[in-house]
Amino acid sequence: MRTSRLAAAALLVGGMLPAMAHHSFAIFDHTQTYTLKGTVRSFQWTNPHGYIDLDVASGLKGVDRYTVELTSINMLRRAGWKSSDVKAGDEVTAIVAPLLNGDEGGLLLELKMADGRTLVPPVPAANTFTRTP
Amino acid sequence: MRLQHRLSLAGVAAAFVMGFAAEAQTPDLTGSWERYRGPAGDAANPPPEAPPPLKASFRAEWEARSAARREADARGEPQASNVTHCIPDGVPSMMNGPFPFEIVQNATQINIAQEAYSQIRRIYLGKPQLTLDDIELGFYGRSVGEWRGDTLVVDTIGIKEYVRFRDVPHTPDMRITERFKLVRPDVLWDEITIDDPAVLERPWTVTFAYRRMPDYEIIEYVCEDNREYADEDGITRLRVGPAAEAP
Repeated sequence: MRTSRLAAAALLVGGMLPAMAHHSFAIFDHTQTYTLKGTVRSFQWTNPHGYIDLDVASGLKGVDRYTVELTSINMLRRAGWKSSDVKAGDEVTAIVAPLLNGDEGGLLLELKMADGRTLVPPVPAANTFTRTP
Repeated sequence: MRLQHRLSLAGVAAAFVMGFAAEAQTPDLTGSWERYRGPAGDAANPPPEAPPPLKASFRAEWEARSAARREADARGEPQASNVTHCIPDGVPSMMNGPFPFEIVQNATQINIAQEAYSQIRRIYLGKPQLTLDDIELGFYGRSVGEWRGDTLVVDTIGIKEYVRFRDVPHTPDMRITERFKLVRPDVLWDEITIDDPAVLERPWTVTFAYRRMPDYEIIEYVCEDNREYADEDGITRLRVGPAAEAP
């Protein structure tokens, strides 16, 4: 009993190992995604996170501006991203996990560019976000 | 004059050879490293992490805090913490990753530069440790080290109370002993033992493994635009809207 309790506790602590880069991703909805089409106003290459400020054309009724958060730019760099990958004026389709509190922002899971490129940020435990149409 | 020159050359050569001999026994840890998690059964995997052997009163408090944090996460209202405010991890949390770090080593000093938050810790070799009276508490404390055979043993004191590893409380008297050792030419272990008799039943040891990243150059990390903040209830929030004007 004692051993199994210890083992369970060890498992629990071990489960904390993939530490969050900056903040907890618990602020984002893991049960649905939005697919937003729009135009990039700016692509901000900063830490602790990169950001896309998006003019929304379709995908979310009543919302015309959306804050798209990316991972740390260090993680993006290691995944092959460059600050020049996305530019103001680019037409994009962004798949995001929205903020749970309803604010107009979300975590980028995938970015489709008009030229056919699909950019995927290295979100830790990305498979825990359920994609919805 | 000529003889003097020859003698000094011989001296330099002898010093070089002796230095080289001394260096040859010391593993070279210089380079970039990141957490290593080998396949099951890999002998380079360190033992599984054990929970902190907290004294009963501290354990109850720690478990309650951990449970509250898990519940807050499940509600989607994560509690704000140091990282919400871009406050760096400090020692020993910065050894946890997930970002890489770089070791630069010479005969008198070893620096460890953690990519996240551009944190640096300095380990002085061959110097005595000071007492708490002589140092101010901080994020990295004061570290001294020595090579014992192929193992670098590092002693650290002087960590601020709110700079916590796994959110485990500690007193200013906490002492951290680390043993760095190459378990394979390209796998390094840091066996971290935390001793704080006022809080822990016994010393607590956690071991991390790292793999060498031969061509990796550490990337700078500055919290240039931190849009996370803690609301009045201490919940992590994200500021949405356009970027703030650059200073």
